[in-house]
Amino acid sequence: MSNSQEAKRYHPAYLLVELFEFLRNSFFFILFLFIFNFDVTSGWIFWAKLVFLSAAAFTIGKIFLSWWLHTYEVDHASITLREGIFVKKVRTIAFDRVQNKKTSTSFIHNWFKLTSLTLETGTSNEEASVRFPVLKRQEAEAIIEIIEKGTAAETPVSESEEGESDGSLPVRPEKSARVEYFRSTNKDTLRAAFTSLSFLAIFPILLTVYFQVDEFFTLEDDAENAVLYFADHLWLLTPLFIVAILISSVIGYVITTIRYGNYRIEADRDRIYITRGVGQVHTFSIQRNKVQAIQIEQPLMKRIWGIVEVKLISAEAVSIGDELATNSLYPFMKTKEAYALLGELLPQYTVQDNLTRLPRNTIWLKLLRPYYVTVIVAVALWFFRPSILWVAGVLFAISLISRLFDYLFTRYALEGDSIQIRTGGFTTTTFITRRERIQEIEVSQSKLQRAFGVRSLRFTNRAKPIHVSSIQDVPDGLGNKFKHWFVQRKVKFE
Amino acid sequence: MEYILKEPERQISTKIIQIWRTTNTIGHGSFLLGFGALLAASHFWDWYNWVHITLYVLIGITVLSAIFSIWIEPVFIQRTWRYEVDEKFIQLKHGRWNVEHKIIPMAKIEYVTTDQGPFLRKAGLYSLNIGTTASSHKIPAIPEEEALKLRSLIASYANVKEDDSFE
Repeated sequence: MSNSQEAKRYHPAYLLVELFEFLRNSFFFILFLFIFNFDVTSGWIFWAKLVFLSAAAFTIGKIFLSWWLHTYEVDHASITLREGIFVKKVRTIAFDRVQNKKTSTSFIHNWFKLTSLTLETGTSNEEASVRFPVLKRQEAEAIIEIIEKGTAAETPVSESEEGESDGSLPVRPEKSARVEYFRSTNKDTLRAAFTSLSFLAIFPILLTVYFQVDEFFTLEDDAENAVLYFADHLWLLTPLFIVAILISSVIGYVITTIRYGNYRIEADRDRIYITRGVGQVHTFSIQRNKVQAIQIEQPLMKRIWGIVEVKLISAEAVSIGDELATNSLYPFMKTKEAYALLGELLPQYTVQDNLTRLPRNTIWLKLLRPYYVTVIVAVALWFFRPSILWVAGVLFAISLISRLFDYLFTRYALEGDSIQIRTGGFTTTTFITRRERIQEIEVSQSKLQRAFGVRSLRFTNRAKPIHVSSIQDVPDGLGNKFKHWFVQRKVKFE
Repeated sequence: MEYILKEPERQISTKIIQIWRTTNTIGHGSFLLGFGALLAASHFWDWYNWVHITLYVLIGITVLSAIFSIWIEPVFIQRTWRYEVDEKFIQLKHGRWNVEHKIIPMAKIEYVTTDQGPFLRKAGLYSLNIGTTASSHKIPAIPEEEALKLRSLIASYANVKEDDSFE
């Protein structure tokens, strides 16, 4: 079924999926124009309604025409897409160019046993990815299989030769077995819900609803009465508050489950596979030897809870039009668990425990640097709003604390083939990469740094977009060591 | 085999000082003209007071910056610029107050070009641009013969593509 030769239209569910997408995107317009202002037939709202209706007609027409005119063709080596309503466009993507594939299945897809598939190529322009909005599941699987067969043949056989007796099975590619490394439990999801503070999400929502409703029914007076009433009966607020927190906790838990529930990390010899989501399932896979670096992020909140988010930096891994980047291993993993998993998945990148702190005198250097933001805000406030000049004071305090934290938490290690740096004040970022993965380096020193005998290091890794990492105020000696370490890079030449 | 990193030694042409002075004069001059025109307009049509203040501040900053970048900076940049090209790496180092030292592996270089604006042409100089997948770098002023030689040298060194994967 995969080797179909003729051009095909998308499954008719395309219409439903796209229409639903359109409704979802214009939800607030519809709510505002046709629900709240249902009976307004004059003024700008009337015009807005007209504009919206014509835009809607245009979009819906476009959806139908697209379905009618867009076709795709899959053969054994490539996909050909014919797109465009007025301007015809034909794209051919060879399978051996495909670096990553993602599937995403919404509930509409589920009804019709369909899925959507996105193929990413290595290039960085806007044509870099191909998206099939709807595709039969077995068709998607067939395409993925063809691609995997291609890439498996392409990657050099490195670690093990045993699974490579092919030729016997022409249909199924010889893949090493997928092993599951991580599966999120309810406890993980609960922890995720609490750390992401999603249970607080209800308050802004309530406020928006209040103001929206207020606009149309002038609640102000009633609300004032209500406030006065509650002020007199303060004890009444407590149960209300508890109920609100409970409701929002449940909502937060549900939202987190939809996003991060059923999180699975699997890997075979060549690739790492990440699957996540309940209801809407996202999958993502990345070639192991294309990982350029590892980035571990820890905002203050996660540090307190002892959890980390591990990201895989790769020139290929990007999320496309997706609200959540999936290039992270589970974003709410216990620190120890994450490091152990990393050691198994990507043994090339080990997390060093033995890190060096910045020289003690650099704390003064960090505090001495000009406070540009504070100064600009202070001057602006002094001119325009002298009454709230204290805001600049608060800002100054925040930057002081941030710099202190930066001094306290910054660490580095340069050992063997890998470099590891940790930087940042409120949110710390640990970055680990290998010498061969670094594109170029820069060692710099400002006048002020020279007085303290320290330097800054910068290095660049391939990613989308290019990833530049830097660490400030490391000792002079490390600067030189870094340069000499880098030029000893051993690379294989083709 | 240990690779010893040579401290970069090759310098850029001294003729570039005069060129930078000219181009910076033109650049700052046009900014001053622009701000001056806005200031005149602002007085003429009686715009807000803070517009005057902002414009005066901007003009002050431009004048200070002009003094620095026309009389002082070009000399220091030229005097401190060093580069080195060998089989394995390109090194660029410059700056007096802020010293920057870049090391780019030859194998990462994607293209090398020379270009020449009207001022450089008059002085018989070229600037050399070196691009990697990550970024592009510029050596600002090299005499013609040397620049062309360097371009083909880098192109031949960079022709070796490295295998990106490892076990």
